[in-house]
Amino acid sequence: MFRFIVRRILWLLLVLLVVMFITFILMHLVPGGPWDREKALAPKVVEALNKRYGLDQPLWQQFGNYVWGVIRGDLGTSYSWADRNVISILLQGLPKTMTLGILAFLLAQAIGIPLGVAAALKQNSGVDYFSVLFSTVFASIPGFVLGILLMIVFSVMLHWLPTSGWGSPQQLIMPVICLAALPAAQSARITRASTLEVMRQDYVRTARSKGLLENRVRIRHIFRNSLIPVVTIAGPELANLITGSFIIENLFAVPGVGRLFVQGIFARDYSLIMGGVLFYAFTIAILNLVVDIAYAAIDPRIRYD
Amino acid sequence: MTVTSEAKVISTRPHHTLWGDAIVRLRRNKFAMAGLAFIVVLSLAAIFAPLLTHYGFAQQNLYEILQSPSWKHPLGTDQLGRDTFARLLYGARTSLAVGIFTQFIVLFIGLPVGAIAGYAGGKVDNYIMRFVDVMYAFPDILLIILLRSVLGGSIFMLFLAIGLVAWVNIARLVRGQILGLKSRDFVNAARAMGGEGSYITWRHLLPNSLGPVIVSVTFNVPRAIFTEAALSYIGIGVKVPTPSWGAMIQDGFNLIFSKPYMLLFPAIALALLMLSFTFLGDGLRDALDPKQRR
Amino acid sequence: MKPILEVCNLSTNFHTQDGIVKAVDNVSYNIGRGETVALVGESGCGKTVSALSVLRLVAEPVGKITQGSVFFDGVDLLKLPENEMRKYRGSRISMIFQEPLTSLNPVVTIGSQIAEGLETHKQMSHHEAINEAINLLKLVGIPHPESRVNDYPHQFSGGMRQRVMIAIAIACKPELIIADEPTTAVDVTIQAQLLELIRGISKELNTSLILITHNLGIVARYAHRVFVMYAGRIVESGTSLEVYHHPDHPYTAGLLASVPRLDEPRKLRLEPIKDQPPDLISLPPGCAFEPRCGYAIDQCRKEKPDLIEISRNHFSACWVAQKGHKPWQKKSS
Repeated sequence: MFRFIVRRILWLLLVLLVVMFITFILMHLVPGGPWDREKALAPKVVEALNKRYGLDQPLWQQFGNYVWGVIRGDLGTSYSWADRNVISILLQGLPKTMTLGILAFLLAQAIGIPLGVAAALKQNSGVDYFSVLFSTVFASIPGFVLGILLMIVFSVMLHWLPTSGWGSPQQLIMPVICLAALPAAQSARITRASTLEVMRQDYVRTARSKGLLENRVRIRHIFRNSLIPVVTIAGPELANLITGSFIIENLFAVPGVGRLFVQGIFARDYSLIMGGVLFYAFTIAILNLVVDIAYAAIDPRIRYD
Repeated sequence: MTVTSEAKVISTRPHHTLWGDAIVRLRRNKFAMAGLAFIVVLSLAAIFAPLLTHYGFAQQNLYEILQSPSWKHPLGTDQLGRDTFARLLYGARTSLAVGIFTQFIVLFIGLPVGAIAGYAGGKVDNYIMRFVDVMYAFPDILLIILLRSVLGGSIFMLFLAIGLVAWVNIARLVRGQILGLKSRDFVNAARAMGGEGSYITWRHLLPNSLGPVIVSVTFNVPRAIFTEAALSYIGIGVKVPTPSWGAMIQDGFNLIFSKPYMLLFPAIALALLMLSFTFLGDGLRDALDPKQRR
Repeated sequence: MKPILEVCNLSTNFHTQDGIVKAVDNVSYNIGRGETVALVGESGCGKTVSALSVLRLVAEPVGKITQGSVFFDGVDLLKLPENEMRKYRGSRISMIFQEPLTSLNPVVTIGSQIAEGLETHKQMSHHEAINEAINLLKLVGIPHPESRVNDYPHQFSGGMRQRVMIAIAIACKPELIIADEPTTAVDVTIQAQLLELIRGISKELNTSLILITHNLGIVARYAHRVFVMYAGRIVESGTSLEVYHHPDHPYTAGLLASVPRLDEPRKLRLEPIKDQPPDLISLPPGCAFEPRCGYAIDQCRKEKPDLIEISRNHFSACWVAQKGHKPWQKKSS
């Protein structure tokens, strides 16, 4: 297990390096540079700026410098944010993105898992049809369309909630719902499918043949197995919530990492883009690692060595 | 005697072929058929848009801006006096084109890469799958945005950017299918009879993985449509006069309090189209899943 | 001998896409205290379903018991409310399943899987139940039970898993054990050991045993009486020696001819029964075995034969045998 984790962390570092490399190449293939303005800057100024930020060096050297910086915990200086450190910019957005992501994740599981379980236990009942409809509709309607519909209903028509912004709990409600819709649908769907699958298994029949109380059969023999796939998708789900939130952040004007990142792209702020991509890739990789470890904890058949 | 009695047993049930059976089951699925019907109707409406409205998608009329729905403009007009209904129809062209053309790119890259990885195995497989892992480490939509900046603004480059990111799923799927099928008896039999490597792959393996690939593509289409809409909403999708539902949502967004329907119509259209593809995909998956056969 | 279990006119149907499958069709049998009986037939003939019906473990709503009664110790199990029925399962009647790999929960230790029946029926604490589980593992011949009690099913071999299944079945000292093809999924070399183990334990506990199998060779050695099933019905029953040596149904004779027999010098060759078992959705109007039978007469195609006593305690559902002819017996001896 220990060796597995070490190996995975080494692999993670390699992935991050490749991700940095690809992003670096892509950014420098983009026509234009960070100093493009409505009114062109004087060539002398551009030269001075390039020199100051090290953009006059050969590309490989720039990349090397960047990687060395990352190792020391320095993601460089933003070009568009008046010399602010990229890390400090990301850290400013991070709590907002994380708050939204984690709340949405909890909401999604709190709705999805019980709904999926109830649907499977009462197959072809009203609950079941509702859960199938719920998971299909919310798996296919994009969060930002849902956000618009919610805004029209709750802000425009009913005047219950503010359309956007950050700071009050009311401003959290709609973005969290929009973010939670998709993972809730996925969890409901997967829970339902895996519970139905497990209910058909021979070992559930064995458990019944022992004359156990129905609750014991369910909790110990059905759910313990049927929730394994739910755990395995929890990592990607949470990663999606944290990385995929930038459209929702844009829609609801939440100053999170995603919104900063999009602004960075428009401003061709290389170091901010790079920092954002790194942050996202790192989040995905870490969450996947956590899930793999959790997986081994639930399922004794899984042993890493 | 043997032959006749066996024939008797078989003939008591209708003849089942995989595809014939699947079509029968698909047609029984009301949601899938409703989804298919919506997609067909919308496609026809998009193709024959000039017959359904005499307004052009970029035709401005500054005397008739921000009109509410009326006989003249069934869904109203926008800030530039463009007819919303016309823009919705022409916008469907963009959405469907994105949905479909990206899948060609996805299949063009994903099928061979997955097939090679699955069939070759060993080192080749290992390298390809490590690369796929790296691709997974990128958040999809961010990579698309980066590619979009690199590749430039034309709509074909948009297809390419989406396709270049989305092929990994198909590659993984095909590889998995082939690894599963490779160990099955009929492939071993073909190999034992002297079939050549690539011939076996194409003759036996790909047709067998066709069902899951079709299902996966059906689910990928709405994802691509959504990506385009999201990019256009942010302002880095299709270029300005080209109508796009995402861009229409962006246009309407500032007027959410005074003219909410400007936002509502494209949002609902997008939701319905994505829902239709999901229903169809669900239906196809259920229909093609032989595990359901009892 | 007063029977512990009496199954009367039991029918169980399955509703499938293609129609109704009569998996068990008007089946009656009984078993005395301490007795071992065998249910024999090819796969798909309804023997497993008839056993699951006794425990009311047929998967609803696809499967449904449509008629009959199952008297266990004088109580009709089919009339009990579910909660009362549950108290019989595992404590007074238990079952050993065919596939030890899939029949054990992969994420629960085998100790807990043995213990939970004891906790439920004998009100033992978890600690007591685990100690009892260790004793049971010892009894079924698992080495180092103290440490293995904490292992998971995938850490055991096939034969060992089936021993665990046996330990689960005998945990509460049931009065009746139903063993559904307990040796099919394990190595041939281990089959005899397992059967001996099951027999030894049932003798020691004076437990009645229903042995479900397709192997008539096993039957003669382990069972007192045998019921042969075909297409959901019982086609022949009698003491196992009687049935083994003088089969009164051509299907039984066919089964016997298709397995090697040790008690005969050397058969020229084994003869499989021709063709496949019938489609249970559309059975022929007459005898279900008629299409595969080499001795069929006109009546066989038209009417279903009932199970009738042909000689003392020997029943057969065959028109030919009921008329006193048994051409298959001459052939096999």
